[in-house]
Amino acid sequence: MGDNDDYYDGDGRMDSLGATPEVIYNWVDITSDFFKHIQDLQLGELLHDGHLFGLFEAMSAIEMMDPKMDAGMLCNRGNPKPLNFQQAVAAGKLKIDDLEPPELIGIIDATMACIVSWLEGHSLAQTVFTNLYLHQPHSIVNKTLKAYCIAVYKLLDCIRDCINKAQVFEEEDFQPMGYGYRLGSNPQSGNTYDARLEVSEQKCVLMLREQEEELNKKARSCDDEDNLWAALQARIRFTRMFYRALLMITKRDSQSGADCVALLNGCSEMMKVIIKTSGKGTQPVENSDSPNPMGFEPMINQRLLPPTFPRYTRIKPRAEALHYFDELVARLRHAWKITSCTNFHTALDFFMEFSRQRACILSRSALQLLYLSPSPANTASMAQSAMNGPVGQPRPQHPFVEILRESVKNFVNPPALTPKSPMVSTPQAREFVENFLARCVRPFAVLLQVCGHNRARQRDKLALLLDEFAALQEEAESVDAVVSGAAGTGPRACFGTWLLYHVLRVMIAYLLSGLELELYSVHEYHYIFWYLYEFLYGWLVSALGRAENLSGDSGRRDSRDSRRRKTKKRVRPYAREGLLCNVMQNLCGGYYKALVAFKLQGKIRQPQSEFDNEAVRYKHRFAPLSVLTPPQVHYHEFCEMTQPLQYENPVILYLGGCKHFQQARSLLETITTPDQEVQDLLKVAKTNFVVLKLLAGGHKRDSTVPPEFDFSVHRHFPIIKLV
Amino acid sequence: MSNTVSEQLTDAIKNTEDGKAKLRKWLNMNFRIEMTDGRVLIGVFLCTDRDANVILGACSEYLKSGDGETEEPRVLGLVMVPGRHIVSIQLDDTTPPQMYCYDE
Repeated sequence: MGDNDDYYDGDGRMDSLGATPEVIYNWVDITSDFFKHIQDLQLGELLHDGHLFGLFEAMSAIEMMDPKMDAGMLCNRGNPKPLNFQQAVAAGKLKIDDLEPPELIGIIDATMACIVSWLEGHSLAQTVFTNLYLHQPHSIVNKTLKAYCIAVYKLLDCIRDCINKAQVFEEEDFQPMGYGYRLGSNPQSGNTYDARLEVSEQKCVLMLREQEEELNKKARSCDDEDNLWAALQARIRFTRMFYRALLMITKRDSQSGADCVALLNGCSEMMKVIIKTSGKGTQPVENSDSPNPMGFEPMINQRLLPPTFPRYTRIKPRAEALHYFDELVARLRHAWKITSCTNFHTALDFFMEFSRQRACILSRSALQLLYLSPSPANTASMAQSAMNGPVGQPRPQHPFVEILRESVKNFVNPPALTPKSPMVSTPQAREFVENFLARCVRPFAVLLQVCGHNRARQRDKLALLLDEFAALQEEAESVDAVVSGAAGTGPRACFGTWLLYHVLRVMIAYLLSGLELELYSVHEYHYIFWYLYEFLYGWLVSALGRAENLSGDSGRRDSRDSRRRKTKKRVRPYAREGLLCNVMQNLCGGYYKALVAFKLQGKIRQPQSEFDNEAVRYKHRFAPLSVLTPPQVHYHEFCEMTQPLQYENPVILYLGGCKHFQQARSLLETITTPDQEVQDLLKVAKTNFVVLKLLAGGHKRDSTVPPEFDFSVHRHFPIIKLV
Repeated sequence: MSNTVSEQLTDAIKNTEDGKAKLRKWLNMNFRIEMTDGRVLIGVFLCTDRDANVILGACSEYLKSGDGETEEPRVLGLVMVPGRHIVSIQLDDTTPPQMYCYDE
């Protein structure tokens, strides 16, 4: 649908059509002539201007009266024309005063459901702005509803701002377009801009607070069992606190983080009340498209939509939507914890862990903004423009450089970054190091940004990122050479090791994401697991070992004079990580051996040989790894290395795999505080151990039914099932 | 009724050519098509076939206004109107044929 790209101009505004000069037509009816003449055409013959218009162009036309392509069609499904705000008020269908508490609760809950639908990727026009009250909030007489509607405008603007800043969304995640509704600045739709109606952030918060107090009084004066005023107050209070918390996250100019945490905690409290009282509001009519009996017109914006706009949006059911909000607040509270991750290493782990939970777009965006201000995306593009800037210009200092410097220091503790080291005095070495760190900003900021994208999009972005890391690796090598040369010591690949560690992690993440996204066929599994088992995890373990040695070296050198520290037991900061790498390596080894044995026993369906070329597939699967250090292991090497196994007895292979799973299991059992991830891995290792043991014992030896790989326990490491 | 058989035949052939030629003459002219659901489409006639499926370029959609008020049109671009949904076709007889260009 390339034709319509120009409709998504991204700035969230759709200008109304310019005043075209009045055209006077002279219509002459030709209906009968036309239908007579077309009978002279052959079946399938197209009558067209051969030079200008052909079948190809015809293919891109949208088909009218096709419900999937023709958004305008739904307007005319026999429904009466939807009433706009004024018409609905005039017709007495829209109360703007004297609303009963259940009506207000119903409108607010339905609006929340609309917001959730928007956050799940639908357009504003088909979700939140089906609420007629939002079309003219200033015309509402009821103060509570007016304050709420204005706050919704501000909230939408704040959400959009947050997501736009983080730049971790794709079209399937979020639609930023505003369809001519002026979000935030002036909650009044249409072209009538009125500066008097401008509402500042403070004013909005104040309006909500006033209503809260008002409602609080009413709530106290009535001691009914189910106090509707209290339920309403909880909703207004939630809106205010949620808005303020999000403002703090987005603007990041707030002094105290404690405020934001307190606000989010308050939001959680209010959500409990809201969910408990959700039955008190007016409920949507059964089988109706409208999320609430009053105030919502699902079709009101249909004509604002581009011609081929997706069908029809079903608003999320209320109970689910409120639950979503509850979880959203919990996710934001969790995301806040990133602010206490001082170390880049732990921050990156946090980002990856957060992504694994498949968080929503708003919380993913918030996490980005909370870690780096304004955002990793912004940091990356600034670094890019600084690199492209004129040579000799002073480099703009960025806090992210310091974060990376700390990261290198913690990881390998290179003498070049130790203040007392003699190398700092060498201007050339210093310049090299600074340049290298500046160059690291973009790839590492992009790495954080990639972690914020949805899981399916991460894979391609990781592949692109590997290219950038390849260039960085070359630079790291030369920096290490220069620094070692200046110090007159032997070659110490400090920066290289630090970078290698991150590159390997990205490589592993790339290969594993193919399992999670179900991109590989079962007959491909064996070389994927082989690669991880033989190389990547092994290299990662040795990179960690090298890092420990390097940092240990400089640590010893520093404390040469103080004997006391020398005797101190060496801490191994990466013990747990190294252990987990070992576990993964063993798991991959187990799968690899099992898969070869399955293949030998004819248990895995292979592609028809005339359509198959394993070398091509292998090359394709590992292509993004080809530019980096360590170099990619090629297909012919794979063949040579795995050749001997082809003649192995399957039983021996099963036993070998069994040992791997056993090893993984006993390693996992040494972890004293197992988290969910460790428990899941343990379950996988235990089960597969038993399965392979059975297979080694000859269980189902002659069956050619393919085994199943069940990823339900762990997204990367399946449980093997015999059926 | 005085036509001979052969005259009728040549007439028929001529008519056939005539029909196509007439349609061809209408190409690149403005059409106004009313659809079965009451919407009106105005656009440049680009293509048709035996089933009266019509392709209009630079097309705008108007809701039929019963009470005379003209509403802002919705720009659709290139559309195909299936013949079975066409109620009436009108031709704009004033404007000189305008070319509809396809280079992006």
